[in-house]
Amino acid sequence: MKRQFFSTALAPPFLLGVMCLLAVAGCGGSNSRTATTTTINNTATLTAGSGPNGLSGGIVNGLYITVTVCQHGTTTCATIDNVQVDTGSIGLRLVPAAVGSVTLTPINVNGSPLEECIQYGDTSYSWGPLKLADVQIAGEKALNIPVQLLGQVTAPPPSATQPTAAGVSCLQSTPNSTLPGTPPGNEDTVATLGSNGILGIGGFIFDCGNNCTTVSFTAGYPYYICPNGTCQAVGVPTVDQAVNPVAQFTSTDNNGVMITLPTIASTGAVTVSGTMNFGIATRADNVLGNAKIYALDQCGNFPTVTFNGISYTDTQCTNNTGGMGGFLDTGSNALFVSDANTLKTFGISDCASTTAGVGFYCVSGGTATLSNINFIGFGGVGSANISLNINNATTLFSTNNAVFNDLGSDSVPGGSPAVDFWDLGMPFFLGKTVFVGIAGTAAPTGVNVPNGFVAF
Amino acid sequence: MSYAKAILSALLVLVLGSMPAWAGLGQPEASVTSDQLHMKSEHRVQDFQAYKVHELANTEGAVVREYVSPEGTVFGISWQGRSTPDMNQLLGNYVNNFQTATRDQTQIRQRRGITIKTNDFVYTNFCRMGVCSGSAYAPRLLPNNVSAEVMR
Repeated sequence: MKRQFFSTALAPPFLLGVMCLLAVAGCGGSNSRTATTTTINNTATLTAGSGPNGLSGGIVNGLYITVTVCQHGTTTCATIDNVQVDTGSIGLRLVPAAVGSVTLTPINVNGSPLEECIQYGDTSYSWGPLKLADVQIAGEKALNIPVQLLGQVTAPPPSATQPTAAGVSCLQSTPNSTLPGTPPGNEDTVATLGSNGILGIGGFIFDCGNNCTTVSFTAGYPYYICPNGTCQAVGVPTVDQAVNPVAQFTSTDNNGVMITLPTIASTGAVTVSGTMNFGIATRADNVLGNAKIYALDQCGNFPTVTFNGISYTDTQCTNNTGGMGGFLDTGSNALFVSDANTLKTFGISDCASTTAGVGFYCVSGGTATLSNINFIGFGGVGSANISLNINNATTLFSTNNAVFNDLGSDSVPGGSPAVDFWDLGMPFFLGKTVFVGIAGTAAPTGVNVPNGFVAF
Repeated sequence: MSYAKAILSALLVLVLGSMPAWAGLGQPEASVTSDQLHMKSEHRVQDFQAYKVHELANTEGAVVREYVSPEGTVFGISWQGRSTPDMNQLLGNYVNNFQTATRDQTQIRQRRGITIKTNDFVYTNFCRMGVCSGSAYAPRLLPNNVSAEVMR
């Protein structure tokens, strides 16, 4: 059901709140549980920093939240801090140790526990069962939703030595001992994950959706059962798939999130606090205000970014080749934009391998400012002219800071505009309020956002 | 197709199908066929002035492109799809370079991606929201006047 909202451009926050109070059915739909919408707390605290492993763990610009998971219908719960907020994935995935003794309900398919395999781009993977839990964040609740327990092995993942009948392995091509996917290679501990879990709240409801209600593809397929120790891909109804918990909130605050982080100095900060409000334009504290809406393409990207006379387009989504346009991603810890060769006229280069900033951009003469970057929304809905500062990573890392608004790197190291993209990671969210609207939920009226949107 | 030709094709498929896994990067152009069978894909060839592109696309939307020099050697590979393809299949003997890259030759983007850069071998891969893309090439095999930028 599409729920309609008042145009926030016309209604001041106070007025919107009053309207919702007066028209509970209109704001909350027909479900009686939503009668409490106006009283529950929709604001969670965010912490940015190096996370549970500290600076020596190597993570900067991590963004974390506290999540409570409960055995369905009970008050047997675990409150889990340091869960990474990731607008670049879908689903809540937790390290079993963080869940402790709380027993979650297994999901069985054809009599066997449902397992999910996620193959990451850095050669590592996650494998573990999906189980049902009540999930609470701030005062918001999602009841009996699938949550993945990373590495809680009820059966080993399909591997090269024991693949599925279709020849699929969850473990990726055998890397050497320096690569993340080195056996066991499973991202399932605080040490490897850098967090107690991942809260995937990108702009979609399900992590696979209709593509996985039947086994419609083999390579990269996520869902398996492993009767007698041999795994097989299995079709899964969406109700059993990893799901964006926000989209499942019982309140009307289930159409997206609003992330607010403070401004910091260009040299960084050790840690900062911010907020995540649930819902977009569902109540007085999450109105769009002056934020502009940008529609995304079916891959969740801005289809076009232009900078310095060059166009970076999401041809990968449409033509299976080339770049990805642009996107916003709290799970990316830097501004992964263009490439060092293309940006060299701005004094930008890849930091030398002998320096602290290796893997990120270094800048001759201090900070580089990239201005007049245009992010153009899907179907032309929204066009943002933004400016980014890139600081010298080696200088930044000479501090003890872990939060930086000006940390940059190549989108594709050694790349060129034909394959590059503009990944506005965690640094972009500092000093702003950013909204992430979930596709298929109640969108603001009067804008065409079939694949979800961001607003800032 | 004549009966004899049909048998010949069947034999060819059998022979190629049983070819060892070291197709791909650094291998002769003919090895592309082995990758095509491995991927169960359609095969399209594009001719450019200084190189050829063999594009292998299967029905699941996975695409592998193999870039071939005038000398007939695969100098680079790129891929797009729901997962990273089997590098044991695509990297040829360069899979050793993949496996022996040292930490300081490796740049990791936590969970999202990885880049390996050595004098002989460059590899990059990135996945986002269930879509992966990347490329691998051997700088020394790049034809004259062809830059690595042609791989996309």
